[in-house]
Formats: sequence, C-alpha cells, structure tokens
Amino acid sequence: MNRIEEILHDHFRPEPEPAGLSERIMAGLRALPGSGEPLEPGLVRSLLDRLAVEATARGVSGVRLGGGPARPSGAAARRLAERARAELQEYWEGRRSFFSVPVDLGAGPAFQHRVLDAAVRIPFGESRSYSWVAGAIGHPKAVRAVGTALGRNPVPFIVPCHRVLRSDGSLGGYGLGLPLKRLLLDLEVRTPPLEGCASTHIVCRTGCRAGGRMRPDSRILFASLDDALSVGYRACRVCRPDGAAAH
Amino acid sequence: MTPNAPDDRDLMAAVARGDEPAFAELVRRYSGRLFATAHRILGSRADAEDAVQRALMQCFRSAASYRPVWAVSTWLYRIITNACVDELRRRAARREIAEPEAHERGGTVPSPGERLDIERALGRVPREARILLTLCYVDGLSYRELARVRGISINTVKSQIARGKAILRDALAGGRGDAARAKDKHAAGTHVERS
Repeated sequence: MNRIEEILHDHFRPEPEPAGLSERIMAGLRALPGSGEPLEPGLVRSLLDRLAVEATARGVSGVRLGGGPARPSGAAARRLAERARAELQEYWEGRRSFFSVPVDLGAGPAFQHRVLDAAVRIPFGESRSYSWVAGAIGHPKAVRAVGTALGRNPVPFIVPCHRVLRSDGSLGGYGLGLPLKRLLLDLEVRTPPLEGCASTHIVCRTGCRAGGRMRPDSRILFASLDDALSVGYRACRVCRPDGAAAH
Repeated sequence: MTPNAPDDRDLMAAVARGDEPAFAELVRRYSGRLFATAHRILGSRADAEDAVQRALMQCFRSAASYRPVWAVSTWLYRIITNACVDELRRRAARREIAEPEAHERGGTVPSPGERLDIERALGRVPREARILLTLCYVDGLSYRELARVRGISINTVKSQIARGKAILRDALAGGRGDAARAKDKHAAGTHVERS
C-alpha cells in the first residue's frame, strides 16, 4: 500500500458513533413533522391570497401584496400574470431558484432601470450591498439614491431587491417589511439552487421545466455549477445555469 | 442481526407502507454509518447529525420512490451526500450574507496536531473529488457504488479519485518542497528553476 493510501485510511478511520444517535434521530423526526419547509405553509397561503400581479403583453409590470386584485388587459398579459403567480408560489415553497417570466419595467427613469438591472444580476441565495449596486451602475457615490430606486421596485421578489443589504450585513430597508426580507434571504439559503439529473447528466436551476420531469430519486445536488461540470454534467440549455442570470 | 431479521429491501417496502417500527430499524442500522460519512464531509458533529436527520426524514417521505434495483445503502448514501453537499453550499451562502463584501472562501476548521497537514492538503482537492475520496475511505464504497451515489460514470469516479490523490501527494510534499526551494534560493542567491 503506498503512502497516500495509508494516510487516507488512517485519516478517514471512522470514529465511534455518538451515544444515543438513533434515539435522538427518531425523536427529532417525530418532533418535526413537515419541517424542512422553507416558508411556513400558512405564510405561503397568506402571500398567495394577497398577491396581485400586473402585466402587459411584454412582461410582468407589477407585483403587489394587497390593494385589490390586478386586472391585466389582454390574453397575453393575463397569461404572463398567471405564469408569474405560479412561479412565485414555487419560489415561496422552495421549489424554484429563478424566474423565467419576462419583466416589463415600462418607461421609468433610466437610473431606476439600471439599479433594478443590477439587482437582477445578484445570484439567487446571495446578497450584495447598496454600495456594490452603486458601483455596478457606475455611480459609486449614489448609495442613497440606489436605496430609493430599490424601494420603488415595482416587481419585488422577481426583481430581487431583497438581496441588497447594508455593507455591515444589516438588512437596510424593504417596502414589504423587514421580517419578510429576512425570511426571503433565509428561504434562498435553504433552497438548493441547482439540481442535476443522474440519468441525463444535465444540471438545471431548481424549478426548470426540463428538470421538473426528473424522477425524484435521480436528483443530485451540487454546491456550485463548477462542481457539477467537474464531474461531467452539462448545463441545461433551457434554464441556462451557466448563462447571464435571467432573474 | 438475528436469522429472521428482514433484509434492507423488505424494510424499505414496509417503510413505504408507513410502518414506523420498520423505519426505526432502518435508522438503527444506518444512522451510525451515515453519521460517520457526514461527519467527515462536514467536519462538525452537530451539522452531521442535522444532515443525517434531514436525510432520514427524506428517506421516510420518499420511500415509495425507492427502486429495489439498487442496494438500500446506495440509495441512502445518495440522500446523505445530497444533504451534505447542500450544507456545504449553505455555509458558503451564509458567509456571503454575513460578509457581503468579502468573497474569499474561509478555510476548513483546523484540527489539532498532525491531522492539520492532511486537512490542509484535502482543502486543496476540489469539492466533488474530496467527497468521493471521503465516501471511498470512510465506508469503503466501491467505484461502482460511488458512481451511483453521485450519478456519474465509473470513469469519472476513477479520474476524480486519481486526481484527488495526485493533488494530495503534491500538497503533502509541497510544504517541504517549497521550504527546501526557499532555502536553496537563499543559499545560492539565485533564481531556482522549477522542473
């Protein structure tokens, strides 16, 4: 046996099982039925009850919680609004890590557009600071204006203004309330962003319609896209985990 | 195990019917092995217990999707490895949120004494290869089992493990090599060529 073999055998020699492990695990399983849900099912229902989605024929133009039902006009707009609602539900339930429905920000101020475009580039499950956004749009001193522009985001959740925090890690502001901002950040940490299919060797973003056809026992999780590529998986051409972030 | 003890596949069939004592038996049989693996991948006993708990919970919920063409242990290893990989991802994400301006990776938790060198060396092995090495050496999984657990080809398993070992060999030799080179350089006062 060569030296590396000896070192590995020695290093990975299992330690004794902690006392009472099986009992603790059984007790934990009984105590936590239905745990592991990223957001409380009751909260998801309440969000869906209050959700109103505005859309044009080009994309989603507004997402609100409360304030009466939305009335998108035209069949195309209604279809997009329905699609956004379905994607939001999957996102809140921890089954989606990206939005594929298009967004129509209309004719807002150019500064606002650039701020929201920068927010869309923050990867799922991560966060950036207000000053990072200011730097990304080429106005490093406009930190306060960035906060204002994010506060006027007409399509929260889908344009992820909740991923922008203060430089010291504190939450900053959020139009829908700071408790919800915290919950969304936690939700995104708990939702696996990528899933590979063991039989096709394709890695998708969670919630991709191509990945949705995968058998549950074929699901392989990866910590990053590079990890998946390193063992011979390829990126899905539908959801493009390798592409510029859709949103 | 008594002569009449049900085999793993029978147990899984019972678990799929919601039989709790059968599940308790499965937990008794496997939680120690799953824990040993999770502990070596995650480096923390508390996180390893959490991962085993999440994995067994998922096993209970999705027992009906278990296909008996696989050994139960292989199926459980796939689930526990997914749980560990996801925990590693969460750690990286938590670091991002805690320190939004700091994007460098934190090191692994150092352990005392002579383990330190090998821990450091393993830290240089890419994550997927490191996980394969761990599964291979903690519980002696075969290349075929490793391929099934991670959903990759046997050739990929072989090449990843070989590459992982090569990096380890380099890293373990490298500490001394660098030091020796620095000493030579100092003594000669000239540039030392790398071969």
